[in-house]
Amino acid sequence: MSKESRMRATVNQKLTEMGERERLKELLRAKLTECGWKDQMKAHCKEVIKEKGLEHVTVEDLVVEITPKGRALVPDSVKKELLHRIRAFLAQHAT
Amino acid sequence: MKMEEVSMSSLDNSKLEGLAQDILSDLVEDACLGLCFEVHRAVKQGYFFLDDTDQESMRDFEIVDQPGLDVFGQVYNQWKNKECVCPNCSRSIAASRFAPHLEKCLGMGRNSSRIANRRIVTGNNTNNKSESDQEDNDDVNDNDWSYGAEKKAKKRKSDKNPNSPRRSKSFKHKNSMMGPRHRMDNQESPRMLMKDEAFPQ
Repeated sequence: MSKESRMRATVNQKLTEMGERERLKELLRAKLTECGWKDQMKAHCKEVIKEKGLEHVTVEDLVVEITPKGRALVPDSVKKELLHRIRAFLAQHAT
Repeated sequence: MKMEEVSMSSLDNSKLEGLAQDILSDLVEDACLGLCFEVHRAVKQGYFFLDDTDQESMRDFEIVDQPGLDVFGQVYNQWKNKECVCPNCSRSIAASRFAPHLEKCLGMGRNSSRIANRRIVTGNNTNNKSESDQEDNDDVNDNDWSYGAEKKAKKRKSDKNPNSPRRSKSFKHKNSMMGPRHRMDNQESPRMLMKDEAFPQ
């Protein structure tokens, strides 16, 4: 198993060093904005804030409320596209 | 490929797939966190609710989603079949053809001087500005606008077109109907309209 974890570590390192991680992040952000995910999540945030009160809401509150819903609401097309790119990167650099 | 290698590579594949999923998961989490920070900062700095107004105004300006209307609730194709009266020739022109017609009619567009030149040079077969003259000429310069001069016009087009932008370097008048090309125009031999022949003759 340590071979695997070594491989993972190497891949992650390469991902960061080559700038691919950053590019993927930007791509994901752009796609999520495009497909309306960001607006959906912002609307949800508004509800949370109204609930908790504008003055008292903390980062933790938001994270706890937003993250699970955010993960679930990512559209499949976006996931597919990102995975495609990740797999391509792995195919090139993981073997 | 040996059997062991095949099974090894499929094992690797599933591991790679798992790795890919993990990386995706990290990226998504990162995006969510980013959003949380952004929202939290907006809340604490006081600009999160800035673009909201009261409920009533929000309802007034809500996006309209009905067939036949645009997002503002206006009918968007009601001008398609309307007709406008040209201030120049006082004819009734269809709305979508109005702008090109004005171009030709007022003699101010990009192509209007060329067409006017052609018309003048090849004689006034149809002296009255006929329909085909103005309206069919829009994208193809020399549509069948005039019966007799059609062939001549077509021949000249092949001579003229590659040259016209370049030929009038020193004399380019945008608004004049009698462009510099006009000087070279010779009714008998359109072949004289060659790029290399200079203007002063």
